[in-house]
Amino acid sequence: MDLNQAIGLRNQLRNNKVIMAYNGAISDDLMLTLADLLKSRMLAQDDPKRSKTIFSVFMEGVQNLIWHGGNDSDTSGMILITQSEGQVTIMCGNRIAQKDTLELRERLSRIENADKETIRQLYREGMSSSNEHEGPGAGLGLLEIARRSSQPISYAFVDVDADTVDFILAATI
Amino acid sequence: MLLSIAATDRTPEISLTHEPAKLSIKGESYPEDVSAFYGQVIQAVNHLVESPQGDLEVEVQLIYINSSSIKALFRIFEGLEDYRKKDKAVHIHWLADEDDDIMQELGEDFVDRFPNLKITTQST
Repeated sequence: MDLNQAIGLRNQLRNNKVIMAYNGAISDDLMLTLADLLKSRMLAQDDPKRSKTIFSVFMEGVQNLIWHGGNDSDTSGMILITQSEGQVTIMCGNRIAQKDTLELRERLSRIENADKETIRQLYREGMSSSNEHEGPGAGLGLLEIARRSSQPISYAFVDVDADTVDFILAATI
Repeated sequence: MLLSIAATDRTPEISLTHEPAKLSIKGESYPEDVSAFYGQVIQAVNHLVESPQGDLEVEVQLIYINSSSIKALFRIFEGLEDYRKKDKAVHIHWLADEDDDIMQELGEDFVDRFPNLKITTQST
């Protein structure tokens, strides 16, 4: 990347009201550092209640990246947070195996058009389920994100090749 | 004292005593290794279930809890349910800050999941 490209990227970040952007390996330590940063920023300009909701969505999104993310800059996680007109959008992306998307797609399609009451019911059922494959939260994290969002969650799967997919999830609070 | 864990920035203070039977969980909960942290607690609660003393008082007062800790807490509540089945009274006080909708709602979710446990939700 040359300087002109860097300036172009900076302008894009500005125009899209990006307040945090990260691409690379995500560790537990990094998650805590970014969470602290986000928390102090939100507390400085927002009410504590909303700031807690934002913190909760951030933590669940990033924990998913830690459990399902790779270690190099192509396969590891991406975190993008934008803030515009009082709304904060948290986007988390990572590269996953095609074969792992089936169950995820199914769960997302159940959640995306569900009303708050349905999401809460799914959440309550999820509290007791145990599925090690889904990581320690076993799918409850996704429901937590959906529950805390003020708008329905959105997501995309972008094929990389026959075996891998880039997955991105966005939640607005 | 069956268990006494001091609070950290990301893990709650937990104490469990035999006589009187009392369990208390207070603080933040997003440990790096949830199974290691809560494994010992689940084990200690199950140990108490094996030799129930008297009525069990439980106090839960959390600030932020992540989804994997919620699943661990669910298993602790299953232990409390087992204790109740030994014909002992179990009384759970779920305390949440009056502004904290998230923790209040989670209290209601536990009430919904454990209809036979006496859970009192209270704003502080």
